[in-house]
Formats: sequence, C-alpha cells, structure tokens
Amino acid sequence: MNTLPNVDLPVVGELAGAALAAARSESPLAQALRRLRKSKTALFGGVIAVALVVVAIFADVLAPYSPTASDQRHTFEAPSRAYPLGTDQLGRDMLSRLIHGSRISLAVGVASVLLALFVGVPLGLVAGFYGGRLDAGIMRLMDLVLAFPIYLLAIILMVIFTPTAGLIGTIKVVGAIAIVRIPIYARLVRGSVLSIKEKEYIEACRALGVGDRSILFHHVLPNSLAPIIVTTTLGIATSIIVEATLSFLGLGTQPPTPSWGWDLKANVAFIHQNPWLALFPGLAIFVTVLGFNLFGDGLRDALDPRMK
Amino acid sequence: MRHPVRNAATLIVIAMMLGGVTVAHAQKRGGTLRVAYGNEIAGLDFHVTAGYEMIWVATNVGCGLVSITPEGKFIPDAAESWQISPDGLLYTFKLRNNVVFHDGTKVDAAAVKFNIDRIMDPATRSSVRTFYEAVHSVEVLDARTVQIRLKHPYAFMLHMLAAYRMGLVLYSPAAIQKYSPEDRRAGKPEATISCGPFRLIEWVKGNQLVMDRFDKYFEPGLPYLDRVIIRTIKDPVTQMAAFKAGEVDFLADFSVDHVDTLRAQNPNAQIMTGKETTPMVAMMKVTVPADGKPMSKNRAPHPIFGDVRVRKALGCYGIDRKEIVKLAFKGQATPWLGIIPPGTQDTVDVTSLCPYDPAKAKALLAEAGYGPQKPLTLELLTNTEKAVFNVIATVIKEQVARIGVTANIRLVDKVSWLNTATQDGPFDMYVEDLASLLVVDQNAYLAASTAAWNSARHTDTKVDDYFARYAREMDSAKRKVIAKEFQEFSVENLYWNTISGSPFYQVAQPWMKGYTYQAEFKVIYRKVWLDR
Amino acid sequence: MRIYILRRLAEAVPTILMITLVVFVMMRSIPGDPVVALLGDAFTEEDAAKVRNEYGLDKPILVQYGLWLAKLAQGDWGTSILSGRPVLKDVLVRLPVTLELIVLSMAVALAIAIPAAIIGALRQNTWADYSATTIAMIGVSIPEFFAGVLLLLVFSVALHGTLPSSGWVYLPGTCPMLVCTGSVWANMMHVVMPAVALGIGRAALLTRLLRASMLEVIRTEYITTARAKGLAEKPVVLKHALKNALIPTVTVMGLQVGFLIGGAIVVEALFAMPGLGSFGIDAIIARDYQQVQGFALITAFAFVVINLIVDLTYSLLDPRIRYA
Repeated sequence: MNTLPNVDLPVVGELAGAALAAARSESPLAQALRRLRKSKTALFGGVIAVALVVVAIFADVLAPYSPTASDQRHTFEAPSRAYPLGTDQLGRDMLSRLIHGSRISLAVGVASVLLALFVGVPLGLVAGFYGGRLDAGIMRLMDLVLAFPIYLLAIILMVIFTPTAGLIGTIKVVGAIAIVRIPIYARLVRGSVLSIKEKEYIEACRALGVGDRSILFHHVLPNSLAPIIVTTTLGIATSIIVEATLSFLGLGTQPPTPSWGWDLKANVAFIHQNPWLALFPGLAIFVTVLGFNLFGDGLRDALDPRMK
Repeated sequence: MRHPVRNAATLIVIAMMLGGVTVAHAQKRGGTLRVAYGNEIAGLDFHVTAGYEMIWVATNVGCGLVSITPEGKFIPDAAESWQISPDGLLYTFKLRNNVVFHDGTKVDAAAVKFNIDRIMDPATRSSVRTFYEAVHSVEVLDARTVQIRLKHPYAFMLHMLAAYRMGLVLYSPAAIQKYSPEDRRAGKPEATISCGPFRLIEWVKGNQLVMDRFDKYFEPGLPYLDRVIIRTIKDPVTQMAAFKAGEVDFLADFSVDHVDTLRAQNPNAQIMTGKETTPMVAMMKVTVPADGKPMSKNRAPHPIFGDVRVRKALGCYGIDRKEIVKLAFKGQATPWLGIIPPGTQDTVDVTSLCPYDPAKAKALLAEAGYGPQKPLTLELLTNTEKAVFNVIATVIKEQVARIGVTANIRLVDKVSWLNTATQDGPFDMYVEDLASLLVVDQNAYLAASTAAWNSARHTDTKVDDYFARYAREMDSAKRKVIAKEFQEFSVENLYWNTISGSPFYQVAQPWMKGYTYQAEFKVIYRKVWLDR
Repeated sequence: MRIYILRRLAEAVPTILMITLVVFVMMRSIPGDPVVALLGDAFTEEDAAKVRNEYGLDKPILVQYGLWLAKLAQGDWGTSILSGRPVLKDVLVRLPVTLELIVLSMAVALAIAIPAAIIGALRQNTWADYSATTIAMIGVSIPEFFAGVLLLLVFSVALHGTLPSSGWVYLPGTCPMLVCTGSVWANMMHVVMPAVALGIGRAALLTRLLRASMLEVIRTEYITTARAKGLAEKPVVLKHALKNALIPTVTVMGLQVGFLIGGAIVVEALFAMPGLGSFGIDAIIARDYQQVQGFALITAFAFVVINLIVDLTYSLLDPRIRYA
C-alpha cells in the first residue's frame, strides 16, 4: 500500500497540543485547519489535486484536439507550438490525450475509493459494534481478501470481468480495485469502534434507551472520521497507481478510451526515438499521485499531530 | 649464397600468411549461438503443438524427407532422392543410409511410415493432419525405400513435406512408444528424439532452450555450432538493448516499428526481410448460426456482413490501405488485397481492384439500406498479441467514420480471441495476421467452407473448388491461371479480406555467418558459424 | 518454540486452502478455457470434449478442487494443460529469482529508509528533514513500472548497456538448469534495476515509521536525561531508538511483502525475469489452471512463512515477548 498506517504513540504530544488548544480555546476542527494551512507540502498537494479535478471536468474545453483523432501527416512529432507535447504513432496529440486521460485516472481513483468506503465502513461498523459471530465472519472474509497480494487479486478480477473500453470498462476497473480496498476501511472502522465501544458514555446512551443506529451514527462514526478521511485521500493515490499498472499490463480500461497507463505502455516501445511519449504519461501519473499523497499526508498531520 | 634457414623461414612465413588469408574465410567450427524469440514457446510436440517458436526449434532438432531453398528448389534431407510416378499418385523416396535418430536408432522406411501414419491418425490430434488429406497410404518397399500413395494428384506434396509449418518432422518410433504426449509437449529431452543437426538438451519454459550439436548428423562437418541457446525477450526495446550490448546474436522475429532505430544503433547488423508471406486481414463474418448454436450446420447471413455490398463498402472501398500501412508499419509493408500474400508462390497483385473510394463506399452502403437514417454500427475485434493489431483497428475505426460508420473496438487477449473467432463466436470484423503461406494451398484449412477454422464461416463451395483445382493442377502455368482467377474471385466476394502483408524481420550480428533468410518458414542454424 | 511454530503452520492451513479454493473458482469463472488454444488448428468438438474429459474439466468445480487437493496431498502439484510440464518443477525453478528480488528490494528500501529516518529524527523539522521525507514521498508516488522504465532508459539505453536490460544469471550453485553459468557479479547486475524499481516505493512507509518511532524514544529519553547527560548521549539514544523502532518496522515489513509480490509481477514482466511473478500472470492470461493453482499455493504459503518469521524476529528484538 502506498500509504502509511496509524501507529499508536504515547500521549505526550497530544497533551501538549490539547493544552495549547485549550489556551487558545479553539475547536479541534479549527486546530486541524490551521495546521493544514501551515504545511507547505500539504498545500502544494492540495493545489495539484484540485487542478486535476478541474482539468478532468473541463477536459473537452481544455484539450486543443480530440484525443482519438489520428492524423497520418503528423505522426511522431516532437513537442512544438502546434503540439505542445508532441504526437504519437497515430498522429494523436499527446496533450489532449493526457488531459482526457486525467478523467479516467481521477474517476477510477475517486470512485473506487468511495465504493470501498460505502461497502467497507458499514461492514466495519457492524462487525465492531455487534461483535460475536457476525464480527468473526466478516473479519474472516476481510482477511481472505487481504491475504491476496493487491495486484494478483486485481488482475484475476479484471481477467474475469474482461477488460473493455468506455464507461463499462471503467466501471469494471473501479469494481476490481474497490473490492481489493474494502478490507482496509472495514478494519479501520472496526478498530475505531472497538476502541470506544466500552467507553462509559456509550453505556450511558444505551441505558438511556438510545437506539443502536443512533449510537453508531452520532457517536461512533464521527470518532473514526479523521482516519477515514486520511485513508481515503491516500487511497486515491494508491488507486491511481493500481489503475495505471493494470492499464500497463493491458488489463485496465481498453483503448480507444485514453488512459495514462496504456499510453505509457504503448509508447515505451518508442522510447529511443521519441522518449517524451512515454515520459509524459508517466510524469502525469507521478505528479497526480504525489499531489494526493502530499495532501493526504498533510491531512494526517493536521488531524493527528501526535504523528509529527 | 644466402642463408638457407633464413630463406626457408621466409618461405614458411609467406606460406602462413597466405594460408591465413584463406583460413579467415573458411567456416569456424564451434561456439554458442544466442537467439532471442519475441514469444514464448507453447510446447515442443512437433506434430501437435502450434506456433512459430516451436516450428523454428523443430526445423533444427528435426529432419524430414526433403527440404526447400528460398528459390523454391527441393533439396534432399533424410531422403537422398525421390521419384514421382507419371500419374502423380506415387512418391517414392530413397533414404540415405547414414541417417540416425538422436537415440541412435536408424531412420528407415518403417520409421517414416510410422510417423506419417501417426500424423494422419485422428487420435494423435495433430495440427498438421489436414495437410495430409491427399495421402491414401504409406508403404515400406524396403529398408531404405518408402512410398507414399495419394488419393488424387496433389501439386504441393513435396512443398507440404518440406515446409508446411515445419514440414514432415520424423520422430524416433522408439521414443514415441516409450514416452507420453505430455513428455513431448513438455520438451523432455529424452522424449524429443528426432534426426536433425541439433539435439535438445533442455527446455526450461520461460528461461531457456538449449540444443547441442548432434555428432552423428548425416551431413559430415555440420553443424558448425557447438550449441544454440534460445531465450524469450518479449519487449522490442529490451531486445534492442540486448542486441546492442552483444548479449544476443540473433533476433528471430523483430518488430518492424523499430528496425530504423536498430539500424541506427547497430550500423553493421544484418537486417533481413523479404516480400511478405503473411497476410494482415480485416476478416468479416459472413454467416451466423441460425439456431444460435456455435458451429451449427444451420446458417443464416450475418446481419451486417452477410450482404456482399456491405462487405465491399467496408472491406474494399471504405478503407485506405496505404494509410494503414503508413501508420501501422511506417510504410514498410505492402498494401494488399486477395488471398495470396505478396511473397507467396503464384501471387497476383489485384489491389487495384479495390481503390480507396469513400464515395463509392457510401453509395454501396446506401444501396444496402444504411445511411443517415439508419447508421451502421459494428464491433471490431482484435487481440493483444501484437501491438500493431490495435493500431490498425484504430486507423480502420477512423477511416470508416469518414463514411458514416461507427466501429467500436473490442480488444481482448489472444485466448479469448481464439475462443471467439474460431469457435463461431459473436463478432463482426476482426483484425489479425494469420498463417504465413508458402503456397496458398496451405490456407485451405483456414478458408475452405468446410474447414473448422473458417472463421468467416462462409458457405461458398466455389472457394473449395478453387482450392481443389489449384492443388490438383500439375502444370505450373495452368496453376498460375487458376491462382489469378482465385484472387479475383476472392476480391469479388471478400470472404477473405486482406489489408496488407505482415512484414517479417530478422536481425543478426555481423559475426553470425551462414544464415539464409527464408521468411517464417525455415529458421535453420545448420550452416551457421560465428566469425569471431 | 518448536511447538509454537508447528501450531502456527497448522493454523495457517485453512487460510491457505481457502485462498487456493477462491483462486480455483475464480479461474474457472474467466470466460474461455485453454482447450481451444491447446488443440489449435486441429480443433474439433469431439476432440475438445475428449480433452476436457481427460483433464476433468467437465466435472463440477468442487469435485475438480477435491481432485487437485488429493493429488497435492501426494506431493503432486499437477501438470500444466498447455505445456505438459509439471507445475512444482516450474515453480521451484522460478522461486529463487523472485525470492532474491523481494529480499533485495527490502534491502534497498531499508537502505533508503534508515538514513532518511535518522536525518529526520535528528534534524527534526529542518529542511533536511523535509527533504528526506519528500524524497521518500516521491519514491512512493512513482509506479513501479515507471521507475523501471526510467531506470531502463538511463542505464540500458542512455548509458549503453551499463546494466543488462533483461534476463537473469543465477548465483553460483543455485542454477536449476543443466546449462548454466552462475556468477555473483552478473547476478547482481541483473537484479539491481528491478530491485531498485520495486524497493523505492516501499522506502517511504518505512522512513515514516522508523522516524516516528525513533522520535518517540528520543523525546522521552530527552526529557528524562537531556539535562543530566547532554549531547554525548546522542549516539546511545540513537542506537536505542533505532533498535526500538525496528519492532513496528519489522511488522510492517512483513505486511509489505504482499505489495512486493504484487509489484514483482510488473517488474518481472518489464525486465523479462524468469520469476514467479511473470509465471503467475502468464498463467492467468493463458488460462493455465494448474499453473495458476501452483502460483496461488506458493504465494499463500510464502505469506504464512514470512509472517511467522516476522513474529519470531519480533521476539528476538524484544526480549519481553516470548512464545510458549
């Protein structure tokens, strides 16, 4: 996993932070935002992430050419005024392909993580809260998925789904990656639930007759919010890399849908005469993932200052 | 008087120098040839498995009755001479008396009969069984004489024995009886016993294949090489890096896209190619099973390509072959039409019968009922075995968009493609390069209406007639006429739609000598020697 | 201790079986089977039916799995339908390559992580700290295949074959083939680029972890002894911090192996290495059921063994932990 897990550390930093916050009489959220704003790397990452979203949404407007229109008079052109990033074997403009490729990367990155969230969080909540056989059963399933190396499972799933192009093809990739990520969220939330389940105020709520669902939503879930947010952001970065790798292996969204991973794979073959054709998609992937990683890291530091 | 010793010494030195000059051009014995394949070997049962990589091993480990030169002349292999009866039904081969299998047993008439009988036996499930359709029986006349009796005259009997796939490769009957088909497929050296210049030492799939000189090979002094090591490097960039670094002596199948780069990096490399013998096709499905059951005898016309006008609109006038060749092959291939590739015997260029004419294509589509009111949408299937397939499919997609047709590309892996295209699965059009052809007769198993691998699933028996007439015509001039007719007929009906030739390149280091380029048919190391 | 090991291995058996069963079922859910590819041009429906019957492919899935298990119990990992080669033999040939790749990738990751973590912990919140963390973060943001491509570009293409671009040379004595020249030097040359490509992605996490753990120790030590002992204590603190930091790191390294095995698939494909990763993916794509089972089995087994080793190393590092 290209992210960092939470590790329990002593309370010294937390006490210090809490003391400072009490002195300033700030809410935890305000504290978090302040810390976030201070971190230059987090801001840098955030800017990249937002820029990517903008590019993906406005791809049709931003791209100077169609990403799929081939032009036999302009194949393998070097970067120039007309084609800022050059053209590929079929005369397609690389810049337009990269711009449109951001759609796939972003869509898959975000959608797969969200899907994993929507399935994993309820599973974790249920498993942690109700315990017993339900917990054991769910966790067994999660362990099974986790026992697979991430790429192996994603590859087999994609071969079963059969990679295709277009929206359906992208949905398949989203599904495959989401399935692999679900246990991470389930485990995370379950851990959170277990840590506060025995706290007195939960017992008090119960005694007062507050329903389970209400307890789950109003007390347990907010407690896990911080790690969920951090894991989600970092998870987007991982998903983008997995999608690119699947495309590189030929098992992601199929052409003619433009995809960074696919372009990288297809153009590595021409790396001697036209190295930029392979470098640019690779750089695009790298910068995007870096952005989300830096932002997610900054979020983690902001929400959990003990780690620093 | 001058010193006699010094005179003699001078003479000796001169003699040595002169001798050295001649010795430098004589073949050097010894050394290991390092070969790189672009694809993995599927299996090593020469009679059963398919694939060029296997064939190119078979042509070195195996020996047959006859072989063929690039000029088309038949030369002796295990058979030292042969005679054909005037009625063309009897082929009598006289074997050399010094041919032995790698296990020491003699290559005699009984062994030849054993092998041909085995290939023709349905239980063997040999992939070359269809080529022996004309054979009635094989008889042993004496220990060194074997006779093949045909059911009808067959103009390509010797071609078939020499080079259809790997030609006839003789296995030692003793080894066949002792070991299982799995052993042979797995390439166990003790099971892979033939009579070629090299014997198989080991095959570790994914790693290397090693063959060593067979000391008792029937041609004295051959082969020069001690050993050949073959490994697989799938990526052309990696192939080039290995070649440049001198880690590899011979690239058996090099991608046309990179030839220019390799030439620039290695000015002294021997880059070999020739007229294409493999067709790149955009095959259109002609019939579908009327009852929905794959391979059903009950056929209905394909909803789109059952109509010949649509076939011609898209396959003939609607695609610009020159543009495809330029984009996909950098111009290093021949735009082509017709069922006989440019480098195959009796070929005729009929490409002018299908000029790129979008207006005509649109008109034909309109005739067939397609137009702005009823736009044509189809699925273009191709596989990931070669990157160029997808490039061609993409260009075709763009080209047919110009005539108002939407082609959706479906890219699958080779196994899925195989399951769909050859098993009467659902497809409209596919892009692939098929078998490389020494003679178009070899294509009967792919194109005849009765063939299992007739992927277009056409039902026109006239195609079968052409194949039959061509194969039975013993006069070469008359055969050429039939070939021309066949080419024109195949254009008229487009059951088989060639776009271009599929180029084939091989690259050798400057020190690899004695190799003769023979397209995909023969990759032979028998006379290769290393000049260093 | 021995009992503990045996107990752990016994407990792992159901998990391993579960994984192989899931893979078994998944493979047969893939559309298409290998019979068409196997028979090639000679394909006829009758032959296909015969072949499917011979290999038991027409039986119910669970029955097929049971048969596979039965053979496995006798030490037979089956033979590949497509190539006829015994699976166990092929797996054993490929195993040393991947093992070496994974071990050296971990070494690369540690070689980056330990100095970066030390710098980060000692010079906390200075530009050196930020640089070290950022470099680690950059490493984690590059996909393995892109890192591999860049390395290829520099060392094999631009620098004209300084490092070999493909293939493998075994270490002397470990070669599984008849014809082989073992060489430590050539082996190192072949493994360097793949190991670096695979290892840099793991470095970031290890850096982070090591740094955080070391900081924890340094802070507490500092608070109690700083005034009393002064700067001379730094090396001692460092050593103590490092040792303490290794415990959670070792755990994480065990977890990382999963990602390494997955990443090995891509790296082995890129560098044409004859390892388990390329074996697995080729088998999956070719629908070679038996080979995929072998691959799944060895991978699951590797997981179990590695986790066991991690736990045992745990007890070595921390004397408080003992396994009865």
